[in-house]
Amino acid sequence: MATMSDPAFWSRIQFAFTVTYHYLFPQLTMGLAWFLVYWKWRALRTGDPEYARAVRFWARIFGLNFAVGVVTGIPMEFQFGTNWAGFSRHAGGVIGQTLAMEGMFAFFLESAFVGALIYGEKRLGSRAHFVAAVGVAVGSWLSAYFILVTNAFMQHPAGYRVEADGSLGIAALGDYLLNPWAWIQFAHNQMAAVVTGAFVVAAIGAFYALRGSHGVQARLYLRAGTLVGLIASLLVAFPTGDQQAKMVARHQPVTLAAMEGRFASGPMAGIAVIGQPNLVEKRLDNPIEIPGALSFLAYGTFEGEVHGLDEYPEDVWPDNIELLYYAFHLMITLGTIFIVLMAVACFQSWRGRLESTPWLLWLLLLALPFPYIANTLGWMTAELGRQPWLIYGLFRTRDGYSQVVSNGNVVFTLIGFTGLYFVLGVLFLFLVGREIGLGPEEETA
Amino acid sequence: MIAAWYGITSFMLIGYVALDGRNFGAGMLLWLVGRTRAERRQVVAAIGPLWSWHEVWLIAFGGTLFVAFPRLLSSAFAAYYLALFLILWCLVLRGMSLEVGGHIPDPLWSSFWDFVFVLSNGLLAILFGAAAGNVARGVPLDAHGQFSMAFFTDFRVTGQVGLLDWYTVSVAVFAMVLLAAHGATYLVLKTDGPVHERSRALAKLLWAAAAPLFLAITIESWSVRPDVPGRAIGNPLCWLGMLVVVGSILALVSGLAAGRERRAFAASNALLIGILATGAAAIFPVMLHSTLAPEDSLTAYDVASSPTALRLASIWWPVALALATSYSAFISRRYAGKVGVERDDQGVY
Repeated sequence: MATMSDPAFWSRIQFAFTVTYHYLFPQLTMGLAWFLVYWKWRALRTGDPEYARAVRFWARIFGLNFAVGVVTGIPMEFQFGTNWAGFSRHAGGVIGQTLAMEGMFAFFLESAFVGALIYGEKRLGSRAHFVAAVGVAVGSWLSAYFILVTNAFMQHPAGYRVEADGSLGIAALGDYLLNPWAWIQFAHNQMAAVVTGAFVVAAIGAFYALRGSHGVQARLYLRAGTLVGLIASLLVAFPTGDQQAKMVARHQPVTLAAMEGRFASGPMAGIAVIGQPNLVEKRLDNPIEIPGALSFLAYGTFEGEVHGLDEYPEDVWPDNIELLYYAFHLMITLGTIFIVLMAVACFQSWRGRLESTPWLLWLLLLALPFPYIANTLGWMTAELGRQPWLIYGLFRTRDGYSQVVSNGNVVFTLIGFTGLYFVLGVLFLFLVGREIGLGPEEETA
Repeated sequence: MIAAWYGITSFMLIGYVALDGRNFGAGMLLWLVGRTRAERRQVVAAIGPLWSWHEVWLIAFGGTLFVAFPRLLSSAFAAYYLALFLILWCLVLRGMSLEVGGHIPDPLWSSFWDFVFVLSNGLLAILFGAAAGNVARGVPLDAHGQFSMAFFTDFRVTGQVGLLDWYTVSVAVFAMVLLAAHGATYLVLKTDGPVHERSRALAKLLWAAAAPLFLAITIESWSVRPDVPGRAIGNPLCWLGMLVVVGSILALVSGLAAGRERRAFAASNALLIGILATGAAAIFPVMLHSTLAPEDSLTAYDVASSPTALRLASIWWPVALALATSYSAFISRRYAGKVGVERDDQGVY
């Protein structure tokens, strides 16, 4: 386990903090972007002013999220050089491709259209405004793909070769860009972003329905939010989550063992519903297990031999097994609750009774933070599970930090980010709260 | 191939300076050209919705540096640790003040964000100017291609230099004046009414101030890096760059005098591009000059990616640039023309 005097420790904390904070915003905009495209398209086709009104309202919410997403995103790219110079030197020949592509293909697309999408409806006219919505949606998903290819290379390297000086270079761009890990992770991650978007849309609909204001708009948000929420929650679990777990079982068996707190190998491996990993005794405390479930999920048969941590030397164990275990299990629990909640809400919506079921509206409103938590837990599982490797099996995290940067400097900038991001967060909540208070009927500056 | 990628990387950085430089300049001058709240909103509207597209040029420059010269990125970014974070925080503040400054129609709210906007733009111009000075002067690179440096040491330009010394500070001041003049020239083109008149007076004043500074910086650069002019004379690209500089100065002066706003702004862009391109061509192939021992300098050939990486990037890069330009053209066509102080458009642009 890393300690505070470990030079990589503070750079890890800084990256983890800034990227976790950053990702609170894109996960909503990536999900919400397609709601905007859909409503704008309906507005164009039907001429119904309610759709155009929905686009105007959500474009303002989108704009605030996008702004914070952009300004908190720029430090991420810089940190590859500032804090992870060792990693950049070692792997820049490979990951430079996708980081440059993200800027050239995705960011130029998003940034050209986003201002016009939020403020330019009159200036652009309806058709060009629709084009802007599509441009922003496609750009944000492209950006996610390039980043996930980069992450997939760190999880499961593909398309590279070792150069004469020992660093990694690109060998086959196709293999690198079409890394199977990237496809599955992209599908899983994007569905999870749609879950966040759908839950937020439904929660705002529930908020207005409970207050008895903006009736038509509230119904629009509730119907779209719950239907998309149910579909996306199902897709996050199956097939994308299932495939993701099988991928981990195949390529990172030690990670799977740590995620499940399995210290011993064997067939008929169960999944613990309750239990805490005990690293001292090397066992799971007070486990309540579904027998055979892990073997079946990972390998498609109850006889599947699940490798335990005992098969691997401790220096390749993930360095924070407890956190990894809790993150993974809580994510699964939340994902299951999302499916149940959205299924009940969709059923009531189909019967036309959702708006007259206050307890369900309250649940939808209060559920708002949980997709954010589940997304964060998912990324914690992916990134803690990758440890102690920066590039799985090739390059350790402890070799990747910037040697010329002292711990003190990193602590200083980390504190700076904490303060700045706190202010940004307060500002964001104030402005979004104000937009929600003004509601979809109002036209604001 | 490596020389071509040196050109592409320089192109991205120079493009960034010309495009976002106008926003820095207009932002710095916000208080001087806009007296009322409506006039200041007019300046923000003149900057327009493509400012974030301009900012992406910096990100794309970073990406291009990463794909083509990863070892340069890892050496320089880690060594400029605190300075880069200052730039980042200024970019965060600049972006936020543009996005939320017009959000609430309240004088206190917009005054606060106007202040943040002016401050962050001014600091960004200074910081990027100092960065340019550092690249021209060189850094204390050791034999391992690594360096670390203090904010300032003894303000001399040789040996164990710091981020700031007499030369880099003067380049920073020059950059601030130059970008302010560039921004004023943009506002002349893009606005009407009192903002237009004030921008015109300021543009003339600022360009007049920039001229002696430009001369001084040229002489200073000569004395700081006496090795460069000798090499530059043999490089036809430097001659081309100097030709562009001279031509654009003539076009700028005649454009400003005759009230030909479009010509003046085009010349202002060409001048920035000419100065930076001449500099980039003059120092090639050295990307980071060592002030400790010239033989430890990092050249493009030392820090470049593998030939495969460059070849692959050469395939997709032109496609991406063509697409990026087309998006910008699609939007800017719809935002053509002057921005008045009274606007019936929804929102800030």
